[in-house]
Amino acid sequence: MSTNMITLETPAAEKIVDRSKTRRRDHDNGWLFALPHLVLFAGFVVLPLVVGFYISLHHWTILQKFHPFIGLSNYRSALSDDIFWLALRNTVYFVILVVPASNLVSLLLALGLWKTRAFGAFYKAAFYTPVVVSIAVVAVLWQWLYDTQAGLINLVIQSWCTDLNRLGFHLPSFNGFPWLSDPHWIMPSLAIMSLWWGAGGNMIIYLAGLNNIPPDYYEAARIDGASSWQSFRAITWPLLRPTTLFCFIFSVIGAFQIFGQSYVLFGDGGGAGRAAMTLAVYMYQQGFSEFEIGYGNAVAYLLFLILMIVSAVQFGLLSRRGDQ
Amino acid sequence: MLKTHRLIHVPLMLASLLFLAPLAWMFCTSLKTDTDIINGLGSLRWLPSTPTLSNYRSVLGNAAEFPVWRWTVNSLFVSLGTSALVLIVDSLAAYAYARLRWRGRDKMFNVLVATMLVPSQVLLIPTYLVIRQLGWFDTYWALIVPASAGSFGVFLLRQFMRSIPVELEEAAKLDGCSSFGIYWHVILPLLRPALATLGIFTFMASWNAFESPLIFTDSVSMRTLPIGIAIFQGHYGTQYGQMMAAATLAMLPVVTTFLMFQRHIIRGISLTGLAGR
Repeated sequence: MSTNMITLETPAAEKIVDRSKTRRRDHDNGWLFALPHLVLFAGFVVLPLVVGFYISLHHWTILQKFHPFIGLSNYRSALSDDIFWLALRNTVYFVILVVPASNLVSLLLALGLWKTRAFGAFYKAAFYTPVVVSIAVVAVLWQWLYDTQAGLINLVIQSWCTDLNRLGFHLPSFNGFPWLSDPHWIMPSLAIMSLWWGAGGNMIIYLAGLNNIPPDYYEAARIDGASSWQSFRAITWPLLRPTTLFCFIFSVIGAFQIFGQSYVLFGDGGGAGRAAMTLAVYMYQQGFSEFEIGYGNAVAYLLFLILMIVSAVQFGLLSRRGDQ
Repeated sequence: MLKTHRLIHVPLMLASLLFLAPLAWMFCTSLKTDTDIINGLGSLRWLPSTPTLSNYRSVLGNAAEFPVWRWTVNSLFVSLGTSALVLIVDSLAAYAYARLRWRGRDKMFNVLVATMLVPSQVLLIPTYLVIRQLGWFDTYWALIVPASAGSFGVFLLRQFMRSIPVELEEAAKLDGCSSFGIYWHVILPLLRPALATLGIFTFMASWNAFESPLIFTDSVSMRTLPIGIAIFQGHYGTQYGQMMAAATLAMLPVVTTFLMFQRHIIRGISLTGLAGR
């Protein structure tokens, strides 16, 4: 290609020489531009990945100097550790509660906003603002909203009850839901709060996916007399599949790592009945309260392994269905 | 067709009220006195009976125990530092992956993309050890450098760079411009919108980071605002007036940034999401 251009343009002979020199320089020092990033990447991504696996094979305690090699013992003890399994169950429960619901909300919001011009910027700002708030702020705010006596949510439910009673219904007196103190309510409460926090992020991605669908398809469907539900089923849903896959995989990865919600509200103990003990919180507790970083990192690697399997399964399921 | 369009505002308006209500409640509470909050028990009342800034005063007044200004300065310095480092390092790298030819380039890029799926928790404990070894524990280095090592920015900028036509670079090359000259004079100016997006993203992520500053710092004076909020929560617990004032203060800068740069941010997310195709 380069010879073509040279014969076409044929400027002065020295320019041709210059050009080939530049080309060769590209070959030689291209990686120099990548080097600063590669140094950081090697030091704070690759090295930690290797070191993390290495220490998970040792009985590694922060305060001790000697760390004996114990092979896969940390992994074995994790698999026979009741709290590890509890943390895994709680984490999976949270993922199941939050990922489908929050993706559904994001998709509905995106569908609602898709063709709406008026107030579009306002809606987007309203739905997206929670996303930019720190989890620490989100957690203390929701602790207040969930307060049994004075929290907004129970107050709203209470005022509805009063209204219904006035209308002649005879409801039992409402004493306020124990959102954050009853073990059964803790995970659903964290899921609602996380949904509020994160739904706007995926909404924007779904919106981008929707905007990428050629409008002609809908025009053709309309001419053929398709209802809006039919064109959703036949056009929107299949063409949106890559976006859905992307959002699902990243939501699952994010939800599996739930930490701040639980840590800010309950410290590293997991709250009443350890209902908010998640894998990430357990890793933190083992690593930085018990100083067992070898064991803590084995927990982290198990989390990693689970996530790889789950992502691979999701990818297989969702992309295979796309082929049919 | 038109009818559905207008009706769509009903659910959308309701939904946006639902999304904004918690933040409004937070702000209203921050203006209420403790007695006002207690009197509010049992009845739903949004507005404070007499609005007061006393919660803000008491949050900002106790600098010995809660150095809020120091935390704010820390957060600001760390977020700006991280953004600057990410913009410099990642734009250079993105140029190398998008435009220059070198041995192993594509393989290396695949490695970068693959590690974007690694959950950050896997790296926390070992990064902590690396930081200890470097003597960076409880310093700004610990908060800035590891946070700049990810590959998201390289990915985003490379994606954007590939949409820039090559002709301009060809012309610059004909004029004898070096690779760095092209990067500096041609690429960077054209990359400005993507750089803005990445810069704002990084700023917000760094401002809100919770786990890494929790683990990589120790002393009260090195904490960032989110950790400060958690410290507050430990002390004030259920003194919600003060808590909400602190939360409002911590939230204000990042929400303002978002509202100012909304268009950049939303375009950036769209670009990243579509990259998944």
